[in-house]
Amino acid sequence: MDIQSCVEVRNEWDIVSARQLGRNMAKELGFGNVDQARITTAISELARNIYLYAGNGKICIQPIDQLGKKGLKIIALDSGPGIRDIRRVMEDGYTTSGGLGAGLPGVKRLMDEFSIESTVDVGTEINATKWLR
Amino acid sequence: MNLQINHHTIEQTHSLKLAGEVDAYTAPKLKEVLVPLTEKEGQEIIIDLSGIEYMDSTGLGIFVGALKSTKANNSSMKLRGMTERVRRIFEITGLTEVMDIENEVKGEAK
Amino acid sequence: MTGKDAIIDRYQDLITTYIKGKSETALYKGQQFSRKLIEQQISPEDVISLHIQVMHDLFPDMDEDMRDSFDFLLEVMIGYGFAYREHQSLRDKQQQLESEIEVAASMQQTLLLSDVPEVDCLDIGVISVPAKKMNGDYFNFVKDGNALSVAVADIIGKGIPAALCMSMIKYAMDSLPQQQQKPHLLLENLNHVVEQNVHPNMFITMLHGLYNPDNHTFSYAGAGHEPGFIYRASEDRFEDMIAKGIVLGVSRTATYQPYEKAIEIGDMIILLSDGVTECRTSKGFIERDEIVALIRKHMDRPAQELVQSVFEELEKLQEFELRDDFTLIVLKRVV
Repeated sequence: MDIQSCVEVRNEWDIVSARQLGRNMAKELGFGNVDQARITTAISELARNIYLYAGNGKICIQPIDQLGKKGLKIIALDSGPGIRDIRRVMEDGYTTSGGLGAGLPGVKRLMDEFSIESTVDVGTEINATKWLR
Repeated sequence: MNLQINHHTIEQTHSLKLAGEVDAYTAPKLKEVLVPLTEKEGQEIIIDLSGIEYMDSTGLGIFVGALKSTKANNSSMKLRGMTERVRRIFEITGLTEVMDIENEVKGEAK
Repeated sequence: MTGKDAIIDRYQDLITTYIKGKSETALYKGQQFSRKLIEQQISPEDVISLHIQVMHDLFPDMDEDMRDSFDFLLEVMIGYGFAYREHQSLRDKQQQLESEIEVAASMQQTLLLSDVPEVDCLDIGVISVPAKKMNGDYFNFVKDGNALSVAVADIIGKGIPAALCMSMIKYAMDSLPQQQQKPHLLLENLNHVVEQNVHPNMFITMLHGLYNPDNHTFSYAGAGHEPGFIYRASEDRFEDMIAKGIVLGVSRTATYQPYEKAIEIGDMIILLSDGVTECRTSKGFIERDEIVALIRKHMDRPAQELVQSVFEELEKLQEFELRDDFTLIVLKRVV
């Protein structure tokens, strides 16, 4: 059941649209204020990464229902340069100075589940899920 | 204090005019410009040092590295227009023996 | 979950007490409570959310605008926490690196420590101070039978690469004991080692000398090193200790010239690193004759006090900001 909605990220305003999309769905699913704010912050960071470093990509938001366990999944897709050393960008303290992958450890911390796949010169896909408690 | 590098190329000849200081802080900047030039065969590099007021040993190291690179790649490097203070450190270190150093500044390199 | 509920209850108690009585005690309890929050690893944004929740319970008729303002604060704090943690982990990393450098620096000190030997006819003073944590200057004394061999070297480039290079020099020198007797041959051999093993941008300047107490001669050779001085007591004059030769590590075929000086009673041999002559003050560079003047000022004192005093004065002139490593060695013939 794929009822995801997506926002193309090309400029800074698209970041706001992606946040709005995430916030609406989080509210609908019944997330509290704090988790709403966490989810939108995570979306912001992922979208900014696309806007600043990949140039081109989209953010998709998808409600999840796994055996009655409800949640929200953020999917960030881009066809940018890719990340050569994922382990390094996931290290805490990997740059606030920028570069693709900046801030990913923080996104991981805000969400419950996190996965990343990247191929150099092809692109990057990041999945991050927050469960409803 | 900073380092200004004025770079001028005519065919195989590269003229670099340096002004300011070559020290541990500015040496990487010089290296970035100078070393790639030495890596191509047949290039002639002329460096005007008349605007250099201070050079420390790290700066000297860049010239040593560039010299080695010219030898490995069959290019050449010539230094000209040293101030007395700069000339002294080339003399003390014995580098005047192995480097092509021109004493007078002939005409102003633009 | 119950832990969280307990915290909400406790917070509600504390804040109710405060709102009623406005007492300092209540505030103090609030402060203590914040420690508990840290222990339980509750993030700043959770504290804000806790506050919001409690306020909603306490004041169900709260003004709509006030309510919204809390949501805004929450959003700001999550972003703040996000950046703050990142900043924090960078600082942790930096601290970790610094302590590793600290360890490397002290290892270097132990590895390279050279005792100042006792020689009957000489009064010896040595000072070597790094500009940063790792010293790029190196000195070494070896007593070989009667004779005293002394080396001063300056590794070009600073910090850790220079320090690693210096260890190489030390072990290369240790493995060439017979050449300690002939400074110019020692330099020639070291040059081979350095030329083959260092980065193209690096090189080493060195002065190596041998004091022979039997006939009181000082034989030496130099590889591009800042010239030292010889003080001639009979003429009350400092002369430059010229030693021509190219720095180590540049030219594979380099050879070095041997020099020899007779040393009389009261004469001094002064060896230094270019950190001494490259001292920069607000008024410009310190010239060699200013160094001579400083040495002259203190030369009646024992050699160790002499080098110490010269360093202290130069340090003062540079406003205690050492730009380069500093090494000064004085050998004074006393009998």
